[in-house]
Amino acid sequence: MTQRTIAEKADHLSRRRARMLPMLAVFYLIQQTTYFRSTANPHPRDVDYVWIGAWVVLSLLILAGLTTKGFWLQQREVRDLIDDESSRANRLEGLRLGFIVAVLTAVALYLVDEFSPMTAREAIHVILSLGLGAALLRFGMLERRAHRPG
Amino acid sequence: MADRLANRIKERRVELGLTQAELAERVGVTRKTVNTVENSVFTPSATLAIKLAAALGLSVEQLFWIER
Repeated sequence: MTQRTIAEKADHLSRRRARMLPMLAVFYLIQQTTYFRSTANPHPRDVDYVWIGAWVVLSLLILAGLTTKGFWLQQREVRDLIDDESSRANRLEGLRLGFIVAVLTAVALYLVDEFSPMTAREAIHVILSLGLGAALLRFGMLERRAHRPG
Repeated sequence: MADRLANRIKERRVELGLTQAELAERVGVTRKTVNTVENSVFTPSATLAIKLAAALGLSVEQLFWIER
């Protein structure tokens, strides 16, 4: 087996991340339908608690991935290289959009609550999911575009 | 209309027989970053612009210019 250089390894992982992030964002947003299906049930089953737990864990993992260099199991040199300045700029752009989406969602829910009251738990879930989902999707799309040849 | 930072990175890189990956390794970034700067998708920091110019044997002004 040939030994990959740090640069080759960083490039390979960066490409993989660019392919995976948009898919993860779509999966994450689709997963939210499960939450609302389970909370609509007055007698939640054990499996519903598992889904809610999975959402919390996935949200925290996505947040950690968006605010750190990610690739926690890789060597430091590889992680530093993957997190070069275009990646940092793309990540910040993703977080910026995520913040805007979260604030606009909060404003929209505040108005909707006047006509259709909701629990704080539901509101937090929607704000967090849309904010994180938008940040992840934007970061992923920018990373994909960055890998595209000119 | 916004100013655009144009460059002759690709032209110079090809002249020197370097691939994007080789240039990236010389300046300590990923190939993706060289690709985005080369295609004017990403505006590099002053530090990266200086490193790119040094690696390609040009001054920053010769490598980058503003297109209006």
